[in-house]
Amino acid sequence: MQRNTVQQMLRDLSITAGLLVLTTILTFILFFKVSDNPANIALFYIIGIITISKHTSGYFYGILASAIGVIFINCFFTYPYFTINFSPPDYPFTFLCMLALSMVTSATTSHSKSQAELLASHEKELMEAEKEKLRANLLRAVSHDLRTPLTGILGASASLEEQWENYESTERQELIHNIHDDANWLLNMVENLLSVTQIQTEGSQLNTTLEVVDEVVAESVTRLKKRLPDADIHITLPPEILLVPMDAMLIEQVLINLMENALLHSHSEHPIEFIVENHTNNVYFRIIDYGVGLKEEHLNHIFDGTYSENVSSDGSKGIGIGLSICYSIITAHHGTITARNHDKGAEFLCILPKEKINA
Amino acid sequence: MHKFTVLLIEDEKSISDFTSKSLSSQGYRVCCASTGREALSLASSLCPDVLLLDLGLPDMDGMEIIRQIRTWSSCPILVISARTQEHDKVQALDAGADDYLTKPFGISELMARIRTSLRHSNRLNNGYSVPQHPYRAKDLEIDFFKRSITIAGQPIHLTPIEYKIVAFLAQNSGKVMTYSAVMSNVWGPYAESDNKILRVNMANIRRKLEQNPAEPIYIFTEVGVGYRMADDETPSNRI
Repeated sequence: MQRNTVQQMLRDLSITAGLLVLTTILTFILFFKVSDNPANIALFYIIGIITISKHTSGYFYGILASAIGVIFINCFFTYPYFTINFSPPDYPFTFLCMLALSMVTSATTSHSKSQAELLASHEKELMEAEKEKLRANLLRAVSHDLRTPLTGILGASASLEEQWENYESTERQELIHNIHDDANWLLNMVENLLSVTQIQTEGSQLNTTLEVVDEVVAESVTRLKKRLPDADIHITLPPEILLVPMDAMLIEQVLINLMENALLHSHSEHPIEFIVENHTNNVYFRIIDYGVGLKEEHLNHIFDGTYSENVSSDGSKGIGIGLSICYSIITAHHGTITARNHDKGAEFLCILPKEKINA
Repeated sequence: MHKFTVLLIEDEKSISDFTSKSLSSQGYRVCCASTGREALSLASSLCPDVLLLDLGLPDMDGMEIIRQIRTWSSCPILVISARTQEHDKVQALDAGADDYLTKPFGISELMARIRTSLRHSNRLNNGYSVPQHPYRAKDLEIDFFKRSITIAGQPIHLTPIEYKIVAFLAQNSGKVMTYSAVMSNVWGPYAESDNKILRVNMANIRRKLEQNPAEPIYIFTEVGVGYRMADDETPSNRI
Protein backbone atom coordinates (compact mmCIF):
# COMPACT_ATOMS: atom_id res chain seq x y z
CA MET A 1 0.00 0.00 0.00
CA GLN A 2 2.73 2.39 1.12
CA ARG A 3 4.81 1.54 -1.90
CA ASN A 4 1.86 2.02 -4.17
CA THR A 5 1.19 5.56 -2.96
CA VAL A 6 4.87 6.45 -3.34
CA GLN A 7 4.85 5.02 -6.84
CA GLN A 8 1.66 6.92 -7.67
CA MET A 9 3.21 10.13 -6.37
CA LEU A 10 6.37 9.68 -8.42
CA ARG A 11 4.31 8.93 -11.50
CA ASP A 12 2.14 12.04 -11.03
CA LEU A 13 5.15 14.23 -10.35
CA SER A 14 6.94 13.07 -13.46
CA ILE A 15 3.80 13.57 -15.56
CA THR A 16 3.51 17.10 -14.19
CA ALA A 17 7.16 17.92 -14.78
CA GLY A 18 7.23 16.35 -18.23
CA LEU A 19 4.11 18.07 -19.48
CA LEU A 20 5.23 21.43 -18.07
CA VAL A 21 8.59 21.12 -19.81
CA LEU A 22 6.86 20.09 -23.04
CA THR A 23 4.45 23.01 -22.81
CA THR A 24 7.30 25.42 -22.15
CA ILE A 25 9.29 24.15 -25.14
CA LEU A 26 6.25 24.43 -27.41
CA THR A 27 5.55 27.89 -26.10
CA PHE A 28 9.13 28.92 -26.81
CA ILE A 29 8.74 27.74 -30.39
CA LEU A 30 5.48 29.68 -30.66
CA PHE A 31 7.01 32.72 -29.04
CA PHE A 32 9.98 32.94 -31.40
CA LYS A 33 8.50 31.63 -34.65
CA VAL A 34 4.86 32.70 -34.71
CA SER A 35 3.75 35.39 -32.36
CA ASP A 36 4.50 36.79 -28.96
CA ASN A 37 0.92 37.55 -28.08
CA PRO A 38 0.63 36.79 -24.33
CA ALA A 39 -2.94 35.58 -24.77
CA ASN A 40 -1.78 32.68 -26.98
CA ILE A 41 0.98 31.84 -24.52
CA ALA A 42 -1.48 31.68 -21.64
CA LEU A 43 -3.76 29.47 -23.73
CA PHE A 44 -0.88 27.05 -24.35
CA TYR A 45 -0.24 26.77 -20.66
CA ILE A 46 -3.91 26.26 -20.00
CA ILE A 47 -3.92 23.30 -22.38
CA GLY A 48 -0.91 21.91 -20.53
CA ILE A 49 -2.52 22.37 -17.14
CA ILE A 50 -5.79 20.74 -18.22
CA THR A 51 -3.84 17.75 -19.53
CA ILE A 52 -1.91 17.50 -16.26
CA SER A 53 -5.07 17.69 -14.16
CA LYS A 54 -6.66 15.04 -16.28
CA HIS A 55 -3.81 12.56 -15.98
CA THR A 56 -2.93 12.97 -12.30
CA SER A 57 -4.93 12.06 -9.25
CA GLY A 58 -6.27 14.72 -6.89
CA TYR A 59 -6.11 18.51 -7.10
CA PHE A 60 -2.58 19.05 -5.95
CA TYR A 61 -0.71 18.56 -9.21
CA GLY A 62 -3.09 20.78 -11.19
CA ILE A 63 -2.67 23.60 -8.68
CA LEU A 64 1.08 23.09 -8.60
CA ALA A 65 1.17 23.16 -12.39
CA SER A 66 -0.87 26.38 -12.62
CA ALA A 67 1.35 28.07 -10.05
CA ILE A 68 4.48 27.02 -11.94
CA GLY A 69 2.82 27.97 -15.21
CA VAL A 70 2.10 31.50 -14.04
CA ILE A 71 5.68 31.85 -12.80
CA PHE A 72 7.03 30.51 -16.10
CA ILE A 73 4.90 32.88 -18.18
CA ASN A 74 5.95 35.73 -15.99
CA CYS A 75 9.58 34.77 -16.14
CA PHE A 76 10.07 33.68 -19.75
CA PHE A 77 7.46 35.29 -21.90
CA THR A 78 6.67 38.74 -20.52
CA TYR A 79 8.80 41.81 -20.34
CA PRO A 80 11.18 42.07 -18.45
CA TYR A 81 12.36 38.60 -19.65
CA PHE A 82 14.01 36.08 -17.26
CA THR A 83 12.97 37.94 -14.14
CA ILE A 84 10.09 37.26 -11.84
CA ASN A 85 8.04 40.35 -11.46
CA PHE A 86 4.48 40.22 -10.19
CA SER A 87 4.06 43.95 -9.90
CA PRO A 88 1.65 44.57 -12.80
CA PRO A 89 -1.84 44.32 -11.34
CA ASP A 90 -3.25 41.74 -13.74
CA TYR A 91 -0.89 38.86 -12.72
CA PRO A 92 -2.77 37.81 -9.61
CA PHE A 93 -5.87 37.74 -11.79
CA THR A 94 -4.20 35.51 -14.43
CA PHE A 95 -2.93 33.23 -11.73
CA LEU A 96 -6.36 32.99 -10.10
CA CYS A 97 -7.97 32.19 -13.44
CA MET A 98 -5.52 29.40 -14.19
CA LEU A 99 -5.88 28.07 -10.65
CA ALA A 100 -9.65 27.97 -10.94
CA LEU A 101 -9.40 26.27 -14.31
CA SER A 102 -7.07 23.57 -13.09
CA MET A 103 -9.26 22.96 -10.04
CA VAL A 104 -12.39 22.60 -12.13
CA THR A 105 -10.64 20.20 -14.49
CA SER A 106 -9.20 18.15 -11.65
CA ALA A 107 -12.54 17.99 -9.94
CA THR A 108 -14.28 16.84 -13.12
CA THR A 109 -11.74 14.22 -14.02
CA SER A 110 -11.36 12.83 -10.53
CA HIS A 111 -15.12 12.73 -10.24
CA SER A 112 -15.48 10.75 -13.46
CA LYS A 113 -12.58 8.52 -12.40
CA SER A 114 -14.18 7.68 -9.09
CA GLN A 115 -17.50 7.20 -10.86
CA ALA A 116 -15.92 4.64 -13.17
CA GLU A 117 -14.30 2.89 -10.25
CA LEU A 118 -17.62 2.80 -8.47
CA LEU A 119 -19.29 1.32 -11.52
CA ALA A 120 -16.58 -1.33 -11.86
CA SER A 121 -16.82 -2.30 -8.23
CA HIS A 122 -20.61 -2.44 -8.52
CA GLU A 123 -20.29 -4.75 -11.47
CA LYS A 124 -17.82 -6.91 -9.59
CA GLU A 125 -20.15 -7.07 -6.62
CA LEU A 126 -23.00 -8.05 -8.89
CA MET A 127 -20.91 -10.81 -10.46
CA GLU A 128 -19.82 -12.00 -7.04
CA ALA A 129 -23.42 -12.03 -5.91
CA GLU A 130 -24.40 -13.99 -9.01
CA LYS A 131 -21.63 -16.50 -8.34
CA GLU A 132 -22.61 -16.66 -4.70
CA LYS A 133 -26.19 -17.29 -5.69
CA LEU A 134 -25.13 -20.11 -8.01
CA ARG A 135 -22.99 -21.59 -5.30
CA ALA A 136 -25.77 -21.29 -2.75
CA ASN A 137 -28.20 -22.92 -5.17
CA LEU A 138 -25.80 -25.74 -5.79
CA LEU A 139 -25.13 -26.17 -2.10
CA ARG A 140 -28.82 -26.22 -1.30
CA ALA A 141 -29.55 -28.73 -4.04
CA VAL A 142 -26.61 -30.86 -3.02
CA SER A 143 -27.38 -30.92 0.65
CA HIS A 144 -30.96 -31.78 -0.17
CA ASP A 145 -29.79 -34.55 -2.44
CA LEU A 146 -27.22 -35.81 0.04
CA ARG A 147 -29.68 -35.97 2.88
CA THR A 148 -31.86 -38.57 1.19
CA PRO A 149 -29.27 -41.34 0.86
CA LEU A 150 -27.69 -40.38 4.18
CA THR A 151 -31.03 -40.82 5.88
CA GLY A 152 -31.29 -44.21 4.25
CA ILE A 153 -27.82 -45.24 5.35
CA LEU A 154 -28.29 -44.01 8.91
CA GLY A 155 -31.70 -45.61 9.25
CA ALA A 156 -30.69 -48.95 7.80
CA SER A 157 -27.44 -49.20 9.75
CA ALA A 158 -29.11 -48.15 13.02
CA SER A 159 -31.90 -50.65 12.68
CA LEU A 160 -29.39 -53.37 11.82
CA GLU A 161 -27.36 -52.53 14.88
CA GLU A 162 -30.30 -52.34 17.27
CA GLN A 163 -32.53 -55.08 15.96
CA TRP A 164 -30.15 -57.54 14.41
CA GLU A 165 -31.97 -60.53 15.92
CA ASN A 166 -35.41 -59.40 14.80
CA TYR A 167 -34.58 -59.53 11.12
CA GLU A 168 -34.59 -62.48 8.80
CA SER A 169 -31.30 -62.96 7.05
CA THR A 170 -32.83 -61.92 3.69
CA GLU A 171 -34.07 -58.72 5.30
CA ARG A 172 -30.62 -58.01 6.66
CA GLN A 173 -29.14 -58.60 3.25
CA GLU A 174 -31.61 -56.19 1.72
CA LEU A 175 -30.81 -53.49 4.25
CA ILE A 176 -27.08 -53.91 3.71
CA HIS A 177 -27.63 -53.80 -0.02
CA ASN A 178 -29.53 -50.53 0.35
CA ILE A 179 -26.71 -49.04 2.40
CA HIS A 180 -24.27 -50.07 -0.27
CA ASP A 181 -26.37 -48.53 -3.05
CA ASP A 182 -26.86 -45.27 -1.21
CA ALA A 183 -23.15 -45.01 -0.40
CA ASN A 184 -22.34 -45.63 -4.04
CA TRP A 185 -24.67 -42.89 -5.09
CA LEU A 186 -23.07 -40.54 -2.58
CA LEU A 187 -19.66 -41.37 -3.94
CA ASN A 188 -20.74 -40.49 -7.47
CA MET A 189 -22.17 -37.20 -6.26
CA VAL A 190 -18.96 -36.35 -4.45
CA GLU A 191 -16.95 -37.04 -7.58
CA ASN A 192 -19.23 -34.73 -9.52
CA LEU A 193 -18.75 -32.02 -6.94
CA LEU A 194 -15.00 -32.50 -7.07
CA SER A 195 -15.09 -31.78 -10.79
CA VAL A 196 -17.03 -28.60 -10.12
CA THR A 197 -14.46 -27.33 -7.68
CA GLN A 198 -11.78 -28.11 -10.21
CA ILE A 199 -13.46 -25.97 -12.85
CA GLN A 200 -14.16 -23.15 -10.45
CA THR A 201 -10.67 -22.91 -9.05
CA GLU A 202 -8.97 -23.20 -12.41
CA GLY A 203 -11.30 -20.75 -14.12
CA SER A 204 -11.27 -21.04 -17.88
CA GLN A 205 -7.70 -22.31 -17.89
CA LEU A 206 -8.32 -26.01 -17.81
CA ASN A 207 -5.40 -28.32 -17.47
CA THR A 208 -5.83 -29.91 -20.89
CA THR A 209 -3.55 -32.45 -22.50
CA LEU A 210 -3.94 -34.34 -25.75
CA GLU A 211 -5.88 -37.48 -24.93
CA VAL A 212 -6.71 -40.49 -27.07
CA VAL A 213 -10.49 -40.57 -27.38
CA ASP A 214 -10.60 -44.39 -27.25
CA GLU A 215 -8.95 -44.40 -23.85
CA VAL A 216 -11.19 -41.78 -22.35
CA VAL A 217 -14.30 -43.53 -23.60
CA ALA A 218 -12.99 -46.89 -22.39
CA GLU A 219 -12.21 -45.56 -18.92
CA SER A 220 -15.53 -43.87 -18.52
CA VAL A 221 -17.35 -47.06 -19.51
CA THR A 222 -15.20 -49.12 -17.13
CA ARG A 223 -15.83 -46.73 -14.28
CA LEU A 224 -19.55 -46.71 -14.95
CA LYS A 225 -19.68 -50.51 -15.11
CA LYS A 226 -17.98 -50.72 -11.75
CA ARG A 227 -21.03 -49.04 -10.32
CA LEU A 228 -23.69 -50.39 -12.68
CA PRO A 229 -22.42 -53.83 -13.70
CA ASP A 230 -25.53 -54.58 -15.77
CA ALA A 231 -25.22 -51.47 -17.92
CA ASP A 232 -25.83 -52.37 -21.56
CA ILE A 233 -24.04 -49.90 -23.80
CA HIS A 234 -23.33 -50.20 -27.53
CA ILE A 235 -20.20 -48.24 -28.32
CA THR A 236 -19.14 -47.17 -31.79
CA LEU A 237 -15.73 -45.59 -32.24
CA PRO A 238 -14.39 -44.00 -35.41
CA PRO A 239 -11.68 -45.95 -37.29
CA GLU A 240 -9.18 -43.09 -36.86
CA ILE A 241 -7.17 -42.52 -33.71
CA LEU A 242 -8.27 -39.17 -32.37
CA LEU A 243 -6.24 -36.94 -30.10
CA VAL A 244 -8.31 -34.24 -28.47
CA PRO A 245 -7.12 -31.66 -25.95
CA MET A 246 -9.08 -32.11 -22.74
CA ASP A 247 -8.97 -32.68 -19.03
CA ALA A 248 -9.61 -36.42 -19.15
CA MET A 249 -11.00 -36.66 -15.61
CA LEU A 250 -13.63 -34.03 -16.30
CA ILE A 251 -14.67 -35.36 -19.71
CA GLU A 252 -14.97 -38.83 -18.23
CA GLN A 253 -17.26 -37.37 -15.61
CA VAL A 254 -19.43 -35.87 -18.36
CA LEU A 255 -19.63 -39.14 -20.28
CA ILE A 256 -20.41 -41.08 -17.11
CA ASN A 257 -23.13 -38.64 -16.13
CA LEU A 258 -24.72 -38.76 -19.57
CA MET A 259 -24.56 -42.56 -19.81
CA GLU A 260 -25.93 -43.00 -16.32
CA ASN A 261 -28.66 -40.52 -17.08
CA ALA A 262 -29.62 -42.43 -20.21
CA LEU A 263 -29.52 -45.79 -18.41
CA LEU A 264 -31.46 -44.80 -15.33
CA HIS A 265 -33.97 -42.29 -16.59
CA SER A 266 -35.01 -43.58 -19.98
CA HIS A 267 -37.16 -46.26 -18.31
CA SER A 268 -36.30 -48.68 -21.05
CA GLU A 269 -34.55 -52.02 -21.28
CA HIS A 270 -33.21 -51.22 -24.72
CA PRO A 271 -29.40 -50.80 -24.63
CA ILE A 272 -28.15 -47.26 -24.99
CA GLU A 273 -26.06 -46.18 -27.93
CA PHE A 274 -22.75 -44.35 -27.50
CA ILE A 275 -21.33 -43.08 -30.79
CA VAL A 276 -18.12 -41.14 -31.31
CA GLU A 277 -17.87 -39.39 -34.66
CA ASN A 278 -14.87 -37.73 -36.24
CA HIS A 279 -15.70 -34.45 -37.99
CA THR A 280 -13.31 -31.99 -39.61
CA ASN A 281 -12.81 -29.68 -36.64
CA ASN A 282 -14.73 -31.41 -33.91
CA VAL A 283 -15.36 -34.73 -32.25
CA TYR A 284 -18.99 -35.62 -31.61
CA PHE A 285 -20.03 -37.75 -28.66
CA ARG A 286 -23.61 -38.95 -29.04
CA ILE A 287 -25.40 -40.73 -26.24
CA ILE A 288 -28.73 -42.05 -27.42
CA ASP A 289 -31.35 -43.87 -25.43
CA TYR A 290 -34.55 -45.53 -26.56
CA GLY A 291 -36.82 -44.63 -23.70
CA VAL A 292 -39.42 -42.12 -22.66
CA GLY A 293 -37.48 -39.11 -23.96
CA LEU A 294 -37.27 -35.68 -22.44
CA LYS A 295 -40.23 -33.46 -21.71
CA GLU A 296 -40.37 -30.73 -24.35
CA GLU A 297 -40.85 -28.00 -21.77
CA HIS A 298 -37.65 -29.05 -20.03
CA LEU A 299 -35.43 -29.04 -23.10
CA ASN A 300 -34.57 -25.36 -22.86
CA HIS A 301 -33.35 -25.31 -19.30
CA ILE A 302 -32.21 -28.89 -18.90
CA PHE A 303 -28.59 -27.85 -18.32
CA ASP A 304 -29.09 -24.93 -15.94
CA GLY A 305 -29.41 -26.97 -12.77
CA THR A 306 -33.09 -26.35 -12.17
CA TYR A 307 -34.24 -29.50 -13.92
CA SER A 308 -35.21 -31.38 -10.83
CA GLU A 309 -38.95 -30.99 -10.37
CA ASN A 310 -39.56 -34.65 -11.06
CA VAL A 311 -36.99 -35.65 -8.47
CA SER A 312 -39.57 -36.92 -6.06
CA SER A 313 -41.87 -38.45 -8.64
CA ASP A 314 -39.45 -40.87 -10.26
CA GLY A 315 -36.71 -40.86 -7.63
CA SER A 316 -34.12 -39.50 -10.04
CA LYS A 317 -31.92 -37.88 -7.48
CA GLY A 318 -29.52 -35.23 -8.54
CA ILE A 319 -30.09 -35.42 -12.27
CA GLY A 320 -30.26 -31.63 -12.56
CA ILE A 321 -26.94 -31.14 -10.86
CA GLY A 322 -25.27 -33.81 -12.97
CA LEU A 323 -26.37 -32.18 -16.22
CA SER A 324 -25.45 -28.67 -15.16
CA ILE A 325 -22.00 -29.99 -14.25
CA CYS A 326 -21.74 -31.54 -17.72
CA TYR A 327 -22.66 -28.20 -19.20
CA SER A 328 -20.02 -26.28 -17.28
CA ILE A 329 -17.32 -28.84 -18.06
CA ILE A 330 -18.06 -28.89 -21.79
CA THR A 331 -18.31 -25.09 -21.93
CA ALA A 332 -14.97 -24.79 -20.17
CA HIS A 333 -13.56 -26.96 -22.97
CA HIS A 334 -14.99 -24.54 -25.57
CA GLY A 335 -17.39 -27.22 -26.70
CA THR A 336 -21.16 -27.43 -26.82
CA ILE A 337 -23.65 -29.82 -25.31
CA THR A 338 -27.22 -30.18 -26.52
CA ALA A 339 -30.16 -32.37 -25.76
CA ARG A 340 -32.99 -33.32 -28.09
CA ASN A 341 -35.63 -35.95 -28.60
CA HIS A 342 -35.54 -38.35 -31.52
CA ASP A 343 -38.34 -40.70 -32.60
CA LYS A 344 -37.80 -43.28 -29.90
CA GLY A 345 -36.05 -41.53 -27.05
CA ALA A 346 -33.56 -38.86 -26.10
CA GLU A 347 -30.17 -37.93 -27.49
CA PHE A 348 -27.39 -35.90 -25.88
CA LEU A 349 -24.67 -34.54 -28.09
CA CYS A 350 -21.34 -33.17 -26.88
CA ILE A 351 -19.09 -31.48 -29.38
CA LEU A 352 -15.45 -30.96 -28.47
CA PRO A 353 -13.06 -28.99 -30.70
CA LYS A 354 -10.01 -30.90 -31.88
CA GLU A 355 -7.70 -27.90 -31.98
CA LYS A 356 -6.57 -26.13 -28.89
CA ILE A 357 -8.39 -22.84 -28.60
CA ASN A 358 -6.39 -20.08 -27.02
CA ALA A 359 -9.07 -18.05 -25.34
CA MET B 1 0.70 -73.26 6.41
CA HIS B 2 2.75 -70.13 6.24
CA LYS B 3 0.66 -67.01 6.33
CA PHE B 4 1.63 -63.91 4.42
CA THR B 5 2.07 -60.86 6.62
CA VAL B 6 0.45 -57.63 5.53
CA LEU B 7 1.39 -54.35 7.15
CA LEU B 8 -1.51 -51.95 6.84
CA ILE B 9 -0.57 -48.29 7.26
CA GLU B 10 -3.74 -46.24 7.49
CA ASP B 11 -4.84 -43.55 9.92
CA GLU B 12 -8.59 -43.73 9.26
CA LYS B 13 -9.86 -46.21 11.81
CA SER B 14 -12.95 -47.27 9.87
CA ILE B 15 -10.97 -48.05 6.74
CA SER B 16 -8.22 -49.81 8.62
CA ASP B 17 -10.87 -51.82 10.51
CA PHE B 18 -12.72 -53.22 7.55
CA THR B 19 -9.56 -53.78 5.53
CA SER B 20 -7.79 -55.70 8.28
CA LYS B 21 -10.92 -57.74 9.02
CA SER B 22 -11.36 -58.79 5.44
CA LEU B 23 -7.65 -59.48 5.02
CA SER B 24 -7.51 -61.77 8.07
CA SER B 25 -10.66 -63.54 6.92
CA GLN B 26 -8.79 -64.28 3.68
CA GLY B 27 -5.95 -65.91 5.60
CA TYR B 28 -3.45 -63.08 5.87
CA ARG B 29 -1.72 -62.02 9.05
CA VAL B 30 -2.44 -58.31 9.44
CA CYS B 31 -0.60 -55.66 11.44
CA CYS B 32 -1.86 -52.11 11.56
CA ALA B 33 0.04 -48.88 11.94
CA SER B 34 -1.64 -45.52 12.10
CA THR B 35 1.39 -43.24 11.91
CA GLY B 36 4.45 -43.11 9.71
CA ARG B 37 6.86 -43.56 12.62
CA GLU B 38 5.02 -46.64 13.85
CA ALA B 39 4.92 -47.97 10.29
CA LEU B 40 8.67 -47.67 9.81
CA SER B 41 9.53 -49.41 13.06
CA LEU B 42 6.96 -52.17 12.43
CA ALA B 43 8.20 -52.63 8.88
CA SER B 44 11.78 -53.15 10.04
CA SER B 45 10.85 -55.52 12.88
CA LEU B 46 8.20 -57.59 11.04
CA CYS B 47 9.60 -57.68 7.51
CA PRO B 48 6.09 -57.94 6.08
CA ASP B 49 5.39 -59.62 2.74
CA VAL B 50 3.21 -56.76 1.53
CA LEU B 51 2.84 -53.15 2.61
CA LEU B 52 -0.45 -51.30 2.21
CA LEU B 53 0.24 -47.61 2.51
CA ASP B 54 -2.18 -44.71 2.68
CA LEU B 55 -0.39 -41.64 1.36
CA GLY B 56 -2.15 -39.18 3.66
CA LEU B 57 -0.67 -39.87 7.08
CA PRO B 58 -0.78 -37.37 9.93
CA ASP B 59 2.92 -37.29 10.84
CA MET B 60 4.86 -38.09 7.67
CA ASP B 61 4.67 -37.80 3.94
CA GLY B 62 3.81 -41.19 2.48
CA MET B 63 6.42 -40.61 -0.22
CA GLU B 64 9.10 -40.42 2.49
CA ILE B 65 8.02 -43.79 3.89
CA ILE B 66 8.34 -45.39 0.45
CA ARG B 67 11.82 -43.93 0.03
CA GLN B 68 13.00 -45.05 3.45
CA ILE B 69 11.65 -48.58 3.08
CA ARG B 70 13.11 -48.89 -0.40
CA THR B 71 16.59 -48.28 1.02
CA TRP B 72 16.59 -51.70 2.64
CA SER B 73 13.63 -53.73 1.40
CA SER B 74 12.11 -54.71 -1.93
CA CYS B 75 8.85 -55.97 -0.49
CA PRO B 76 5.83 -54.95 -2.55
CA ILE B 77 4.27 -51.62 -1.57
CA LEU B 78 0.66 -50.96 -2.51
CA VAL B 79 -0.31 -47.33 -2.27
CA ILE B 80 -3.85 -46.36 -1.33
CA SER B 81 -4.85 -42.90 -2.46
CA ALA B 82 -7.89 -40.82 -3.22
CA ARG B 83 -8.97 -40.20 -6.77
CA THR B 84 -7.93 -36.94 -8.48
CA GLN B 85 -4.38 -37.26 -7.18
CA GLU B 86 -2.84 -38.65 -10.37
CA HIS B 87 0.29 -36.70 -9.69
CA ASP B 88 0.78 -38.34 -6.28
CA LYS B 89 0.17 -41.77 -7.73
CA VAL B 90 2.77 -41.34 -10.44
CA GLN B 91 5.22 -39.91 -7.93
CA ALA B 92 4.67 -42.82 -5.55
CA LEU B 93 5.10 -45.36 -8.34
CA ASP B 94 8.25 -43.67 -9.53
CA ALA B 95 9.57 -43.56 -5.95
CA GLY B 96 9.33 -47.35 -5.81
CA ALA B 97 5.77 -48.29 -4.98
CA ASP B 98 4.55 -51.34 -6.88
CA ASP B 99 0.92 -50.50 -7.46
CA TYR B 100 -1.88 -48.34 -6.24
CA LEU B 101 -5.51 -48.59 -5.29
CA THR B 102 -7.95 -45.75 -5.52
CA LYS B 103 -10.23 -45.01 -2.61
CA PRO B 104 -12.89 -46.23 -2.31
CA PHE B 105 -11.76 -49.70 -3.27
CA GLY B 106 -13.56 -53.02 -3.14
CA ILE B 107 -12.22 -55.93 -1.16
CA SER B 108 -12.02 -58.20 -4.20
CA GLU B 109 -9.94 -55.57 -5.98
CA LEU B 110 -7.63 -55.29 -2.98
CA MET B 111 -7.18 -59.06 -2.79
CA ALA B 112 -6.38 -59.27 -6.49
CA ARG B 113 -3.74 -56.54 -6.18
CA ILE B 114 -2.15 -58.20 -3.16
CA ARG B 115 -2.01 -61.56 -4.97
CA THR B 116 -0.46 -59.92 -8.03
CA SER B 117 2.19 -58.11 -6.05
CA LEU B 118 3.04 -61.25 -4.06
CA ARG B 119 3.40 -63.20 -7.26
CA HIS B 120 5.70 -60.59 -8.73
CA SER B 121 7.85 -60.48 -5.61
CA ASN B 122 8.05 -64.29 -5.65
CA ARG B 123 9.18 -64.25 -9.23
CA LEU B 124 11.78 -61.70 -8.30
CA ASN B 125 13.04 -63.91 -5.49
CA ASN B 126 13.24 -66.88 -7.83
CA GLY B 127 15.71 -64.94 -9.86
CA TYR B 128 13.81 -65.03 -13.14
CA SER B 129 14.16 -61.84 -15.07
CA VAL B 130 12.35 -63.18 -18.14
CA PRO B 131 9.22 -65.20 -17.48
CA GLN B 132 9.68 -68.83 -18.44
CA HIS B 133 6.06 -69.37 -19.36
CA PRO B 134 3.99 -67.91 -22.08
CA TYR B 135 1.56 -65.26 -20.91
CA ARG B 136 -2.06 -66.26 -21.12
CA ALA B 137 -5.20 -64.25 -20.41
CA LYS B 138 -8.56 -65.22 -21.86
CA ASP B 139 -7.88 -65.86 -25.57
CA LEU B 140 -4.61 -63.97 -25.68
CA GLU B 141 -1.33 -65.84 -25.58
CA ILE B 142 2.15 -64.38 -25.76
CA ASP B 143 5.17 -66.60 -26.30
CA PHE B 144 8.19 -64.61 -25.18
CA PHE B 145 10.68 -66.95 -26.85
CA LYS B 146 9.04 -67.05 -30.25
CA ARG B 147 7.96 -63.44 -29.87
CA SER B 148 4.55 -64.41 -31.12
CA ILE B 149 1.13 -63.20 -30.08
CA THR B 150 -2.04 -65.13 -30.80
CA ILE B 151 -5.66 -64.54 -30.00
CA ALA B 152 -7.72 -67.73 -29.95
CA GLY B 153 -4.96 -69.35 -31.98
CA GLN B 154 -4.97 -66.65 -34.65
CA PRO B 155 -1.59 -64.89 -34.97
CA ILE B 156 -1.65 -61.12 -34.44
CA HIS B 157 0.84 -59.01 -36.34
CA LEU B 158 2.38 -56.21 -34.32
CA THR B 159 5.20 -53.88 -35.25
CA PRO B 160 8.43 -54.41 -33.25
CA ILE B 161 7.67 -51.39 -31.07
CA GLU B 162 4.13 -52.56 -30.45
CA TYR B 163 5.41 -56.01 -29.50
CA LYS B 164 7.89 -54.50 -27.07
CA ILE B 165 5.14 -52.52 -25.36
CA VAL B 166 2.83 -55.50 -25.09
CA ALA B 167 5.60 -57.82 -23.90
CA PHE B 168 6.70 -55.36 -21.24
CA LEU B 169 3.16 -54.96 -19.95
CA ALA B 170 2.59 -58.72 -20.05
CA GLN B 171 5.74 -59.39 -18.05
CA ASN B 172 4.34 -57.03 -15.44
CA SER B 173 0.76 -58.19 -15.85
CA GLY B 174 -1.69 -57.10 -13.19
CA LYS B 175 0.52 -54.22 -12.16
CA VAL B 176 0.07 -50.66 -13.26
CA MET B 177 3.00 -49.43 -15.36
CA THR B 178 3.48 -45.69 -15.55
CA TYR B 179 3.86 -44.02 -18.93
CA SER B 180 7.45 -43.13 -18.10
CA ALA B 181 8.28 -46.73 -17.13
CA VAL B 182 6.94 -48.03 -20.45
CA MET B 183 8.60 -45.24 -22.39
CA SER B 184 12.05 -45.82 -20.91
CA ASN B 185 11.75 -49.57 -21.30
CA VAL B 186 10.69 -49.45 -24.94
CA TRP B 187 12.46 -46.36 -26.27
CA GLY B 188 15.40 -46.35 -23.87
CA PRO B 189 16.35 -44.04 -21.03
CA TYR B 190 16.64 -40.98 -23.27
CA ALA B 191 13.07 -41.20 -24.51
CA GLU B 192 11.17 -37.97 -24.86
CA SER B 193 9.06 -36.98 -21.92
CA ASP B 194 6.05 -36.51 -24.20
CA ASN B 195 4.12 -39.75 -24.10
CA LYS B 196 1.99 -39.06 -27.17
CA ILE B 197 3.88 -41.60 -29.26
CA LEU B 198 3.21 -44.30 -26.67
CA ARG B 199 -0.47 -43.51 -26.58
CA VAL B 200 -0.84 -43.55 -30.32
CA ASN B 201 0.97 -46.90 -30.42
CA MET B 202 -1.31 -48.14 -27.67
CA ALA B 203 -4.41 -47.09 -29.62
CA ASN B 204 -3.08 -49.10 -32.57
CA ILE B 205 -2.34 -52.11 -30.36
CA ARG B 206 -5.85 -51.97 -28.98
CA ARG B 207 -7.30 -52.01 -32.47
CA LYS B 208 -5.37 -55.19 -33.15
CA LEU B 209 -5.86 -56.96 -29.83
CA GLU B 210 -9.17 -55.88 -28.46
CA GLN B 211 -12.43 -56.88 -30.05
CA ASN B 212 -13.97 -53.63 -28.87
CA PRO B 213 -11.35 -50.97 -28.12
CA ALA B 214 -13.91 -49.06 -26.06
CA GLU B 215 -14.29 -51.98 -23.68
CA PRO B 216 -10.80 -53.44 -23.46
CA ILE B 217 -10.35 -56.81 -21.81
CA TYR B 218 -6.55 -57.13 -22.07
CA ILE B 219 -4.92 -53.75 -21.61
CA PHE B 220 -6.58 -51.20 -19.35
CA THR B 221 -5.86 -47.51 -19.16
CA GLU B 222 -5.34 -45.78 -15.85
CA VAL B 223 -5.94 -42.23 -16.97
CA GLY B 224 -3.09 -39.91 -16.10
CA VAL B 225 -0.96 -42.76 -14.75
CA GLY B 226 -0.30 -45.55 -17.22
CA TYR B 227 -1.46 -48.98 -18.34
CA ARG B 228 -2.33 -52.23 -16.64
CA MET B 229 -2.41 -55.54 -18.45
CA ALA B 230 -4.89 -58.23 -17.45
CA ASP B 231 -3.49 -60.75 -14.98
CA ASP B 232 -1.58 -63.73 -16.30
CA GLU B 233 -3.76 -66.81 -16.06
CA THR B 234 -1.03 -69.41 -16.55
CA PRO B 235 -1.65 -71.89 -13.71
CA SER B 236 2.01 -72.30 -12.76
CA ASN B 237 2.24 -68.56 -12.20
CA ARG B 238 -0.43 -68.68 -9.53
CA ILE B 239 0.58 -68.74 -5.93
